[in-house]
Amino acid sequence: MSLRGRARRREIQLAYLLLSPALLLLLTVLAYPVGWELWTSLTDLSPLSDGPQAFVGFENYRRFLGEAEFWRAAAVTVVYAAVTSVAKLALGLGFALLLARPFRGRALVFLAIFLPWAYPAGVSVIGWYWTLNPPTRTAYAPFMGHLKFVVDGAFGGGAWAFTSVILFNIWRGSSFIAVLLLAGINAIPPELFECALLESKSAWRRFHLVTVPLLKPFLALGVFLSLTSAFADLANVWMLTAGRIVFPVIGTHAYWLATKAGQFGPASALSLTLVPFLLGVLFLLFRLFDPPEREAA
Amino acid sequence: MNPRPWWAKLGHLSLLILTTVYCLFPIYFMLVQSLKTPEEDVFGNPFIVMNPTLENFEELFERKSEVRGFVGDALRRSYPFLDWLVNTLFIFAGSVAATLGASVAAAYALGRLRPPGFRWWRRAIFAAYVVPQTILFIPLFQVVNGLGLDDNLLALLLIYPSMALPFCVWMLSAYFQHLPREIEEAALIEGASRATAFFRIILPMSRPVLVAAGIFTLGTVASDFMIASVFLLTPHNQTITAGLGTFDVALDELAAVAGVNLMALPVVTISAVFARGYVRGLTAAMVEGA
Repeated sequence: MSLRGRARRREIQLAYLLLSPALLLLLTVLAYPVGWELWTSLTDLSPLSDGPQAFVGFENYRRFLGEAEFWRAAAVTVVYAAVTSVAKLALGLGFALLLARPFRGRALVFLAIFLPWAYPAGVSVIGWYWTLNPPTRTAYAPFMGHLKFVVDGAFGGGAWAFTSVILFNIWRGSSFIAVLLLAGINAIPPELFECALLESKSAWRRFHLVTVPLLKPFLALGVFLSLTSAFADLANVWMLTAGRIVFPVIGTHAYWLATKAGQFGPASALSLTLVPFLLGVLFLLFRLFDPPEREAA
Repeated sequence: MNPRPWWAKLGHLSLLILTTVYCLFPIYFMLVQSLKTPEEDVFGNPFIVMNPTLENFEELFERKSEVRGFVGDALRRSYPFLDWLVNTLFIFAGSVAATLGASVAAAYALGRLRPPGFRWWRRAIFAAYVVPQTILFIPLFQVVNGLGLDDNLLALLLIYPSMALPFCVWMLSAYFQHLPREIEEAALIEGASRATAFFRIILPMSRPVLVAAGIFTLGTVASDFMIASVFLLTPHNQTITAGLGTFDVALDELAAVAGVNLMALPVVTISAVFARGYVRGLTAAMVEGA
């Protein structure tokens, strides 16, 4: 074997060695649980029944299709993901464009936009919950109570809690997307914007003919990360509604099935129904972000 | 360029003010709440604090005498807040270090050494985000138990890196991949080993991207609520997030908000210090990579 070939083989071995910690981590923490979920979704496993678990095939999946509850959860999930993603993208893009050009105090405004994401969400969700659903003795409780009353009256009980989930998701997510898009705008050579300025006087034309196409990969990345967090969002919904789920999303419904009803099989099947959609979005993302013509490089 | 008219300036300024208020108001509100006395919480104006006090923060650190019975426990609960703080710092630092270590190694392999099919490896790792977390904690519990890590902080150290790793590998490998080959080759020709070339040349060059990956990891780890509350049960072992989740809304509102602020303080400070580096790193990963 030639010297080059041997060196290359050593390189490849080293590559696998270096990959192993990351792969090992993902295998333990993700691959096994996902495998378990796939298998369980085909059985009637439940901690409540003593008998051995029975293989039921696609029964769990089939049952959902006839359940009104499932379709309701699916519809709420789609609306939740769509509303939050659109709002996050719009706000994030707006913030990023606002920050794109230099002005006095830009660093401070940037910091303000960065903070909602940097503020630890694991605890800020607690703060939000108590702000929006305060104990009755606090000074702002009557106001919040009134707001809750109006919103629930207009859209049905539980609407206020669900609105607060949406608001929280948008507040934090728009901050992340703004910073991501700002980084994307910084990555575009300024000459392109100068050329565009000479070509067209209309700011709108420049925006949607130059800025948006150049930012497309980053917009796609933002949408993907936003969708995964929204579809799989469970903790925030659960927290902000204190477990009183009136508007179930797929995630909370699966969680409820697993923890309260003890139906591990259906719960697994339910949470796996999200995967094909996310895979589809991911596929689109790869086409935008990692275009195949670069394979040759 | 001709100067912009006054209305454009005014519009710009009001947009800036609106944006800042929208972003900061919830944080401001939580800060104000945490500084209030119970009296002011009930009778005062919700948006300002007249007599700021730190008693809510002090209460978190107080060790109260034992009171028996359920009601007594609820009324005079003492929190091992100091333990929570130490646990949280340990977990956050450990997770960031572990994530960075594993993702730099993997990204170097994918971006520089390029084993066959490296693109697909990279995509496969990124595809981890497709997995919904919903009830994943049930099988995860088996894994954690199998490793003997139940009710142990190390369980979080195992799970947290997996949440940030895919994005970090994606970003870092894109950056490494588009660094010119000559950078390393010059050093290799001089007789340096691959490791030397990496630690002396590549790693220092990629500092902005490392900062970006670190801040992303910190933000991801700090946003978790589920995992911490599911896997950490005894108060002594909890992180601040898990501990605050057990507070009672009606009784401990002010102390809890104070706890929220205490946890946010270090995270926000670190993030703010590195905020510029975060954007620069993301940009670098995008210019070189993408």
